[in-house]
Amino acid sequence: MKRIISVLLLLLIAFPMTAQSSEKQPMESLQGPLDEVISILKDPQYQGDSQKKLQREKIWNIIRDVFDFERISLLALGKYRKKFNDNQLKEFTDVFGELLEDTYLNKIQAEYKNEKVDYLEQKTKSDRALVKTKVMRENVGIPVDYSLWLNNGAWRVYDIKVEGVSLVKNYRNQFQKILSEKSPAELIEQVKDKVKEQKKGETRAG
Amino acid sequence: MRAEQRNYPLTHSFLLFVILAFCLTGCAHGPLTTDTAPALSLSTGQSYLADASASDRISSPSAKTEKAGDSSDDDLDDFGDDDLDLWDEGSEEETVQVADPLAPFNRVMFHFNDKLYYWVLKPVATGYKSVTPAPVRIGVKNFFHNLSTPIRFANCIFQGKFRTAEVEFARFLINSTAGVLGFGDVAKNNPSFAKPQGEDMGQTLATYGIGNGFYIVWPIMGPSTLRDSVGIFGDRFLSPVTWTDMPTEAAFGLTTFKTVNESSFRLGDYEGIREAAIEPYEAFRDAYLQYRKKKTEGSEGGKGERRYDNLIKEWIK
Repeated sequence: MKRIISVLLLLLIAFPMTAQSSEKQPMESLQGPLDEVISILKDPQYQGDSQKKLQREKIWNIIRDVFDFERISLLALGKYRKKFNDNQLKEFTDVFGELLEDTYLNKIQAEYKNEKVDYLEQKTKSDRALVKTKVMRENVGIPVDYSLWLNNGAWRVYDIKVEGVSLVKNYRNQFQKILSEKSPAELIEQVKDKVKEQKKGETRAG
Repeated sequence: MRAEQRNYPLTHSFLLFVILAFCLTGCAHGPLTTDTAPALSLSTGQSYLADASASDRISSPSAKTEKAGDSSDDDLDDFGDDDLDLWDEGSEEETVQVADPLAPFNRVMFHFNDKLYYWVLKPVATGYKSVTPAPVRIGVKNFFHNLSTPIRFANCIFQGKFRTAEVEFARFLINSTAGVLGFGDVAKNNPSFAKPQGEDMGQTLATYGIGNGFYIVWPIMGPSTLRDSVGIFGDRFLSPVTWTDMPTEAAFGLTTFKTVNESSFRLGDYEGIREAAIEPYEAFRDAYLQYRKKKTEGSEGGKGERRYDNLIKEWIK
């Protein structure tokens, strides 16, 4: 009987806790996947050149769920997105996402050297959150802040700030410059060319 | 060197300024840096960041903040207006706007610095890194950082950040002695002497309400603005290197060494931002301005001293 009571008590105590943790905190939803990416990067089974493609796919599958590329694209266009029709918007999102994928996956695959990530703090305000981290490389610490928003119940990243420099703002500035002189179609072409250029570099390097 | 400045006319001292600025700042274009002028670069696989020494100078929230978990934070400083503008796609307020009347010149300089990085600095720094163990490189980095303490100390005072000035002074004493001439950073083992965000004269001028002016890309030194260039010029009078009777060649050699050493920590960063950009010139311009904006605004320091820099701001108004 005592045992049953203690089990019941335990359940009572544990239940609210599980209920609470079912909604993930922003930091958790960032740290989990990023730790996974790091462990894939470290995994000796992917070190051979022939395995790089597989490794890349695995990382991409994780990253894709954490980063909200649709949102990133829209924010990067800023007010100029009104110039885009629906098809152009979709095309832009696809090709811009591809550019980010290529650029950053190439880099982390080629250059990951046991950097550690310290998760410092998180701040939440209704459906938006900020997670501050510090990437430690050799003895140099680089502050990296992630901005997340609650998209259909899942925290997803819509901007990264490295040492105070926002990725989205940086692209917005570039796109603004281009769109003040050129049409959306031309911008899409330009991003496509960039992706092609990246791919060429990749095969050359590989 | 002091005598030289007095004797030579303006043109000469300008040349000296360029050389010395280089001495003080290193090649800001590469992923390296100095204590006075920032360089822009990119972190592994992520995005933009700035100079290496700045990276660990940026006020570390770790000292002040608890580890995660608490999501109810009412004062959301970090969400500032900035982020709201970003979130609101229709927002008219766009990114940091600074005039660029020298754009044609700046673009030429940008390409010059770009080639300089790929053809000279990168191969040299890569070679240096491969033959020099990390502890040695870290020691050298600490040494140069320690040597430039007077610059940061004075600028803390100018900005009314007396608490940070104390920390800089204490760090200098500890690291110059227990740290053996500054090669070791033993002071940081004590949390109250953690490396503060470095203050330079560009930031001091910003505190006094002086705006960026316009954007300028210096050969070798890289991105800057009118205000920050004046700041670099002023800072050099605070550098102990300026006041030693060192021949120009030696000072130049020293700076080159410092630059190469700093670069060895940031290899790949420059390429990252360069390759991710659709308009590289614009990307670096914006990154520099965002970085400086953050540094001039976000230097919170200790709570006790905020009063003083606010006082200065009030007083200027």
